[in-house]
Amino acid sequence: MTISDILGADRVASGVTFTSKKKALEELSNLLALGQPSLSAHDVLSSLTAREKLGSTGLGRGVAIPHGRLAGVNQSIGAIMRLKHPLDYDAHDSTRVDLMFGLIVPQTATEEHLKHLAAIAEMFSDEAFCARLRSADDSAQLHALVAQYTPAH
Amino acid sequence: MLIAPDLILLAGLLLAMSILATVITPRLGVPLLLIFLIIGMLAGVDGPGGIPFSDYGLANLAGTVGLAVILFDGGLRTSAINFRTALWPSISLATVGVLLTAGITGAFAAWLLKLTWAEGLLIGAIVGSTDAAAVFALLGTRSMALNTRVSSTLETESGTNDPMAVFLTLAVIGYLSAPNDYTLVDSLIFLVQQMGIGSLMGLAGGVSLASALNRLDLNDSLYPLMALAGGLLIFGLTDRLGGSGFLAVYLAGLWVGNHRVHALPNIRRFHDGVAWLAQIGMFVLLGLLATPTELATVAVPGLLIALVLMLVARPVAVTLGLLPFRFPWREKVFVSWVGLRGSVPIVLATFPLIAGIDNAELFFNIAFIIVLVSLVVQGWTMAPAAQFLGLYVPNQSARTHRVDIDLPGARDHEIVSYRLPRHSALAGQTIREIELPDTIRIVAITRGNKLLSTRDWGRLREADSVALLCDRAELDALDKIFEASAKPLKKEEQRFFGEFGLRPDAPMDQLALIYGVSLSPHAARLTVAEFLDSSLPNPVIGDRLRFGDMELVIRELKDDTIGAVGLRLPKARAPAPPRP
Repeated sequence: MTISDILGADRVASGVTFTSKKKALEELSNLLALGQPSLSAHDVLSSLTAREKLGSTGLGRGVAIPHGRLAGVNQSIGAIMRLKHPLDYDAHDSTRVDLMFGLIVPQTATEEHLKHLAAIAEMFSDEAFCARLRSADDSAQLHALVAQYTPAH
Repeated sequence: MLIAPDLILLAGLLLAMSILATVITPRLGVPLLLIFLIIGMLAGVDGPGGIPFSDYGLANLAGTVGLAVILFDGGLRTSAINFRTALWPSISLATVGVLLTAGITGAFAAWLLKLTWAEGLLIGAIVGSTDAAAVFALLGTRSMALNTRVSSTLETESGTNDPMAVFLTLAVIGYLSAPNDYTLVDSLIFLVQQMGIGSLMGLAGGVSLASALNRLDLNDSLYPLMALAGGLLIFGLTDRLGGSGFLAVYLAGLWVGNHRVHALPNIRRFHDGVAWLAQIGMFVLLGLLATPTELATVAVPGLLIALVLMLVARPVAVTLGLLPFRFPWREKVFVSWVGLRGSVPIVLATFPLIAGIDNAELFFNIAFIIVLVSLVVQGWTMAPAAQFLGLYVPNQSARTHRVDIDLPGARDHEIVSYRLPRHSALAGQTIREIELPDTIRIVAITRGNKLLSTRDWGRLREADSVALLCDRAELDALDKIFEASAKPLKKEEQRFFGEFGLRPDAPMDQLALIYGVSLSPHAARLTVAEFLDSSLPNPVIGDRLRFGDMELVIRELKDDTIGAVGLRLPKARAPAPPRP
């Protein structure tokens, strides 16, 4: 399974603005549930918020990866948002977040969950890549960048 | 005979050379102490300097004073929190550890050199204690720091193990001088007396010195000198009373350095300089004292004893000494390897010479070789060893630069000046937005060497200097405010401390549910912090604990409680390449 299988072209938003972390997570949940009849945005949101309650999923350097496991999902689903105005996200380095990648995996897929999380975290640790995402023109280009990502080394 | 101006010229020359050497050596990764020794040896009888020097009494005096000053400074700079973390492991290493090191090394030396057991033990005792000055000079220069459990153990051990080595050396010399009159009971009484009186006098001395410094109304320049005088006084008095002066000055320094004492920043700065002078003077003098051509004759046995010390005696001593403390094995390996020998053995080696013991020259030369081998081999390999064992922790808080100025006549207030570091969280804020405590007054803000008028303050920028008048009790709070950094994490820090954050009070059972990790029923009732505490008795920043395929990493500690935790993911396999 590749990153382009996880991130569908329609689950990308760029240039969006939110007033709070909560609002941003709501929108991310809507994106994640998009085109998934078996999935309600509400369930996604409560799964993501349950994780955020235990501690921030902010990676540092302006990136956050909210994630959760959910029953009723058959395969890993990802969504990405690029925010217009960086948002306070309680990240370890207190840097405001402007790139959010949401990940939902099936309830049974414990190992897969970690593998995908680690791969995505690794991807967003690549500073040059993040810079390209931040200067992408629109959602389509944002999606293309992520879907075609190959590690720099 | 050299006359005064020549001596002064020589002293100036050697001192200047040694100071210049501090600029060059960090790049070579060689312990500075080695360079000082070599400068001394070059100036000495077999080197180009050709100065004959064999006044063991003078060397002993200089060495003892030097050590006392260095230990006092070491105490002043050790923070009580680090001291507490490392107290029991260090005491164990400083007592049992030194005994084992001395015993094993001594037995081998006696066998190798065909000496009596007491003579062998004398060699063991002489090289029994470690020198951390060398260690920290090497580690301090990097952008990474050693994990605090290891660094404070090494530091506190070296501050506390000299008295034991001194005691053992004196006890064995006592026996060798009068083998028929000296019993084990004598030496035990001697030990208890040395340690007991040493500790008591150290604490009493520290308390009196601190209160004297706070009460006396002196010229500003005299406070550091008064502290130095106090240190020497405590050393001398303790020794007169039959206690260990070394232990006493270290404890007194520790007390003064960790209490609110007038002019403490000045005292610290001054003693740093004095300790440098002591190091340089002591090592150059000890280098002068050695006769390299004589050293060469015992080079092979010296090297063999050094190897046994480093590869057998020290590891055994550390393993047994740290047995009760649950140190991770990597840390034990590192502590074993970093048993650097420094000035103490060479100073101790002059004692038998002064006492006129048989074979005293041999002991001196052997001890000298052991120190050289230890400085070269262990000093050079220490940094790679720490890297290899994964003991480095990324340096987190970019220390702000704080300058303290004591106000004449005002005991509890001082002026401090902070320089905003790069990525300071305060940059871009106005003074009003930084919520400073009410009692603090801003004295001045300078930007690019220009003093700004109040109207031009505006928003703070990086590299601005802010001078404040404040109550001394508020210094810690101020440090926190000015240390706040908005510096983005570096990639390796992000990886080291875990990708995601966890609150210390997050319940373990919920965490386990989210990641599908199974927990013991006991662990399921704990919070993240309790879970870490229950498995890591003395947590330090950077400690890790397995959690399923992930790891929990301690990101922050406030005093002894866990402040923030990271969740570290397993290493990603390269993501599959995109399909065409």
